[in-house]
Formats: sequence, C-alpha cells, structure tokens
Amino acid sequence: MSVPALMSRTSFVELNARERARALLDVGSFRELLGPFDRIESPWLARQNIVPQADDGVVVARGTIGGVAAVVIAIEGAFQGGSTGEVSGAKIAGALELAAKDAEAGKPIRPVLVFETGGVRLQEANLGLAAMADVHAAVVALRAHVPVVGVIAGMIGCFGGMGITAGLVSRLIVTKQARLGLNGPEVIEQNAGVEELDSRDRPLIWSLTGGEQRHAVGLADDLVADDADALADAVRAAFDRGAPAEHASERIAFWRARLDRLPAAPEGMALRKLWTGDRP
Amino acid sequence: MSDTNSRSWSTRRDDKLRRVRAVEAHADGKVLRTAEMVAALEAVLVSGDRVALEGDNQKQADFLSRSLAKVSPEKVRDLHMLISSISRPEQIDVFETGVAKKIDFAYAGPQSLRVAQLLEDGALEVGAIHTYVELYARMFVDLTPRVALVAAEKADRRGNLYTGANTEDTPTIVEATAFGGGIVIAQANEIVDELPRVDIPGDWVDFVVKADRPAAIEPLFTRDPRLITEQHILMAMLAIRGVYERHGVVSLNHGIGFNTAAIELLLPTYAERLGLKGKIARHWTLNPHPTLIPAIESGWVDSVHCFGGEVGMEAYIAARSDVFFTGRDGSLRSNRVLCQLAGQYAVDMFIGATLQIDGDANSSTVTTGRLAGFGGAPNMGHDPGGRRHASHAWLDLKTDPSPTARGKKLVVQMAETFQSGGVPTFVEELDAVGVGQAAGMPIAPVMIYGDDVSHVVTEEGVAYLYLAADEDERRAALAAVAGVSPIGLRHDPRRTDDLRAKGLVAYPEDLGVDPTEASRSLLAARTIEDLVEWSGGLYAPPAKFRSF
Repeated sequence: MSVPALMSRTSFVELNARERARALLDVGSFRELLGPFDRIESPWLARQNIVPQADDGVVVARGTIGGVAAVVIAIEGAFQGGSTGEVSGAKIAGALELAAKDAEAGKPIRPVLVFETGGVRLQEANLGLAAMADVHAAVVALRAHVPVVGVIAGMIGCFGGMGITAGLVSRLIVTKQARLGLNGPEVIEQNAGVEELDSRDRPLIWSLTGGEQRHAVGLADDLVADDADALADAVRAAFDRGAPAEHASERIAFWRARLDRLPAAPEGMALRKLWTGDRP
Repeated sequence: MSDTNSRSWSTRRDDKLRRVRAVEAHADGKVLRTAEMVAALEAVLVSGDRVALEGDNQKQADFLSRSLAKVSPEKVRDLHMLISSISRPEQIDVFETGVAKKIDFAYAGPQSLRVAQLLEDGALEVGAIHTYVELYARMFVDLTPRVALVAAEKADRRGNLYTGANTEDTPTIVEATAFGGGIVIAQANEIVDELPRVDIPGDWVDFVVKADRPAAIEPLFTRDPRLITEQHILMAMLAIRGVYERHGVVSLNHGIGFNTAAIELLLPTYAERLGLKGKIARHWTLNPHPTLIPAIESGWVDSVHCFGGEVGMEAYIAARSDVFFTGRDGSLRSNRVLCQLAGQYAVDMFIGATLQIDGDANSSTVTTGRLAGFGGAPNMGHDPGGRRHASHAWLDLKTDPSPTARGKKLVVQMAETFQSGGVPTFVEELDAVGVGQAAGMPIAPVMIYGDDVSHVVTEEGVAYLYLAADEDERRAALAAVAGVSPIGLRHDPRRTDDLRAKGLVAYPEDLGVDPTEASRSLLAARTIEDLVEWSGGLYAPPAKFRSF
C-alpha cells in the first residue's frame, strides 16, 4: 500500500462488528436485526460473574450488497474473544437459516460471515458446541443455493469450531493480519508444551496460521489489504463470481492427498513450497 | 613535607600494571579467552574495588555480568558496583553471595522489588540513587571506577571497539575508567580484523573478550500505534495547539509513551493541516522512535540526536543520514551523556508522561513497594538554570519584564486524569514520599519537581502553570485540568472563567480543538505494519511487535 493510500484508507481491522457490517453493505442500506436494544443476551454469563452484552457479541444486519438483498453476520472480537455461546450461536444459525429459506423460495440473498473468534464460549460449553453444529449445517444447506462469503480480518482471527465454518464457506477473504486455524496457538502450547509451539513467537504463528500463508497454500481464496473499501469490493466480487462448481470442503480426495505428502517438518515455508500452485 | 618526596604518586598506575600482568595469563594479547573469563575476573578484581558494570535500559554487558556472578566470594568480596540500570537478575545475585556489597545506580526497573528486599535485609548498601547524568558525572569526581566491564558490538585484536547504534554509555564509562587509572574490559559479539568504524580507541581498552552470545538489547522505545486510544489523540491535539503551536517549539525531547507517540503520528496529518510544518518540532534529542518515521518521511524533521539505538531501526537510520547522526560507515552513533546534555541545554522543551502528580505538580513514577529509581527523566525534565542562549520558545516563557530575568525551558507533563483501573493520576500525596521514607532515603524520589513544570496537559485541557502569579493560582490552574481526581475535586468551578480569561487554563474550545475529531483515522500510521510501509520496508520491527 502506498503512503497516500495508507493515509486515506479506513482500516477494517479497527472497526467493531457493527461498523464492519455497515462497511460491507451498500451505503445507507444497513438495518440491524436483534440489535442491542432488543436485549437478547446470554443468560449464563452473569451467573459466572461475567457482564453480558446486549447483543451477545454478534451483529446481524440486513441491507444490500451490489444492490442485491444481503445479510451480514459479524462477530465482535472485543466481547469475550468473539466466542460462540447459546444466544450468539443461535443468532448466527438463525440468520443463516432465514437466508436459506429466502434462497429456497427463489429470493436473492447474499450472506456474509465476518469472523473474529476463538470458537466456542467455554462458559457455555455444550450449548455453544450445539450452536456450532447448527451453524455448520446451516452454511452447508445455504451454500447449495447461493454462495456464502467469509471474511477474516484480525486481530483475533478465526479458530475452533468457527475455523471449521470458515472452511465451509464458498469463498474466504483474508487480510495479512488474519489468522485461521482449528486450535489456537495458546491452546496448542498449553496442551503440547512450548517446545511444540511457542505462542509468543509471533512470526512463527503468522507463518503457520496467518492470512498470507493461508492464502498461499489455498486455504483462503482472496488476500486483501486492510482497507474497508477494498474488502467491500472483494465481497461484492465474490458474489459476482457466483458459486464454485465444487466447494473446497467437498474435495476430500484432494485434501487427503495433500496430507499424505506432509513433510517431516511441516513449517510454513515448506508447506508453501509444497502446496503453492496446487490449488483446490 | 618530606612525605612528598618519599611517597609514590603513581600507586594507581603501578597497581593497574600489576593487575594487567596477572590477567595476561588468560589472554592472547588483548583478547581474553572466553572460557577463562571467570578466572580472569578473579585475577583482576580486588575485594572492595569500585566496579562499573555497563547496563542501561537498552544495552547490557550480560556476558560479563553472568561471569561476575560466578566469581568466588572466597577470592573477591564487597565490591562497590556502579550500574546505571539494574535490569538482570545476576546483577543482583552478586549481593546475595557477598561478592558485592554496595551499589550506586540510577534505575532498577525489572529488579526493583528485589533491590528493595535486599536493602531491607541489609545485604545491600545503597550509595545513592542517581539520575543517569549524575552517576556518570560522579565517575569523574568521587566514584571513578577501578574496573569497568562494558559491552561492544565488535572489537579488534588491538582493543578498538565498534559500539555502533548502541554506543550509549560506553564511551563515558571507558573514559572515566581508562584515564582514572582503572582497567577496562569489553565484551564483544565478534572479534574481527577490520571494524566498520572505531567508536572507542583501543588505547583506552585493556582487554576484549568474545561473548558467549550477543549482548542483550531491549526494544524499549517502540510503541505499537494500534494501542493509541482516542483519548491519547485528543491530548496530542491539545498539546500541538496549546503548547507546540502556542510557543513555537522547534527543538524538543519526547519521553516514552503513547501520549507522545500520538503527537509524533499527528504531525504529518493534524499539524500539517494547521500549517505548522517547518514551524515546530524540527530538531530532536530522541531515541529513534519508530513512530517518528512518518514525520521524518513527510519532511518535518531536520535532525535527531539519539541517546541510544532502537532494535529494528538500523537500516532505516543508515538510509536517512541527513537526519540522524551516523558514522562514515552509515550506522547510527548514539551517546547517552551528550544527548542528555543536549536535552538539558539545547532543546526548548521536554514533554513526557507520568503516573502520579500531586497538587503542586510534583510527579513521580515510583509506586508503593518498588524502588525503581529515576533513569534519565529528571535530567530532561527540568529547567536548567545555567542556560544563557535565547530562542523564541524560551523567551516566550519569560514572564518577568526585568532586564535581568531569564527565559524558561518548557517542561510539559502529559497525563490522563485517571490511570487504567480507575486509579487517579492526580493525588494528595505521591507514593514516592512513603517509598522514600521506607527506604531511608534523605529526600523523596520525586521524578520531576513541580517548580520546574511549565505546563500540564490532560484530556480536560492545558494548565499554563508558568503564568501563575503565586502558589495558590498555580494549584487552582492545575486542579482545573485534573478532572474528578482528588485534586480536581478541590477545584472551584467559579474560578475557572477567571483562570481561562487570564490564560492560565485552556479547554479544548479555547484552543480550537474539536474533541469529536479525535479519532484514530488522524494517525499517520495505525499499526506497526503501517510504519514498515512508511519506511519503504527499511524498518524491521522486532518479532514481538509483528502481527502479520
């Protein structure tokens, strides 16, 4: 990015979930469903001495993208690490299910998921896990009709069950600051020891899970600069492109073959060398 | 009188030669064998010696300090250590073994709890807690080191040293020791045949040794722009309009912190829009803050002289030699003492953040239970009475029309009225008072004295303390910007209009600052990665600051 571009852009990473949804929708079209004034919040957190939030950390917004009806589901990383609980999970799954209904009825709909999450909310354990299954099922049902677009901007990234969701979308857009994985680096360090993975070694973490790496090895489709306009353009372009002939997550033989060729020391550069050009 | 003829006048030199000969068994010429470092120290040191161990807030002679920690207390005891900044655990271990007894220091950040504990246990005796410049000055008066243990990046076999970007304190310690008849031992990351340049001549150095691993250097002056808040930005806007623009501040020093980092990042945006380029902030005494890169790239900065280096800034500095002081080889030459001197006598303003301010504007970063010391902030944060040359800003603070009155350096404190966690910044009594009493210090460890402070900037506004007619007015002006802190609550709101009319207090609207404009989009760089972009890829941020 040139210096004038740096100065004039709006950083998408810095926007909160509500502002992110607004930035991706056509100007003036943003309309929130189940917003904070509806006060649909987690019934479990207060019992664990955690202050709940009136939107439970998920913003569902209707509007248009490229003039076509759209729904943007944006997760707020600043609330409980963007974790998925009973309510926030239900908001995501419910919005996707409504979109599927529209799509089945032949109504145009452009669904976007904006991830910023460590996965299931541990304080709501099984309810969060159950919600995650609903979300996965809803994405698979919806993508049969219309493309589902995912965005990971950073700084939390997208981990846990939502890492799987990101793997299910039709097209995944990331920034260099994004991270994508199943277990987060801190979890790996805690379980397998610092020798396995030093979660404070930031260049190492990004060389494995960072947006640039995930894009280079084909686990993300578009690498876009941290600029709200550029991301909105990329989202629009993803819908204009239409649904892929086959979703990446359906190509089981392809991924299995990759795993069979896993090098002894699967560090970032080695994987990039091995897998670059080998696009799903 | 006959004593004059019979006594020797070269005992220090004779003793030095004897000790150097004793160490030669462990060396090839001037190069000590790394594996024999502990034995060499046992040969050179005598119990009770005064030993300068180089360690400041950035560079540490850590191979030598780890070797010293292995010296047997059977052979060497009761050393008197001079350490500007106590940063490493082994610098304190020597007091537990009895190898060292007394210490003079300036700062004890990471080890401040242990220092306080050992002091209480009687295992450590403190000579004095100094500021940096005082400790170095005393090395030339009554604390001349017998042995100096210092750090260089490279050395050659004749003892010439290349200290490069992190030259910092080394020349001063070496000068005091070498010319005071003491022994200088330098660790180096590499022993080479050809140095990039000579920072310290080999004639001043008795021995060099290759360190087992490179000297530890902390990136202490890097502030991630991502952590700058809108409150910091508002305060930066107030400072730019209410202080820099108001007084035409051309030469200055910035402390470390997010407040001043925000100012650096507003120069190419907010201040540029105000038409201030070329009129303020042109000459700096400052460590190479990465957050200054956008201002440099936008042509704001004429010169920067540095106390020390900053990890990751090397290539950028080498490519901007018009701005930074660099050697013929292109790399930065820093010098802490000379930069401190420049910061005292040559610049018009010091501006920095603090943790506590009392009703008289005395401030301190000392908090209960920690004996952290001063570092260099008091050296910069005062109005030097010995200054005689005039400048626009210095004269602008002259309030007394008498022909024999002098101008004043701007000493500006920037602080939010509350710290994180709802702890008030403005307090009835500084924690430093209690800490000083508990540690038996003769005076409280005040960082910056209120009578030196000319301005205080908070998110509420600017207090122009130098304009106060008396103590009472001064306290009232300070309280008017202290928000709802204990000091701010003392403030009588009916008096505010009077203070504003007299120009002692300015709120945002008085300065033409719109608080709703204080957003992060005003920052020329919002992330470390933006700084890399601004530098054209020359700035290489340390790993811990990367998020890409």
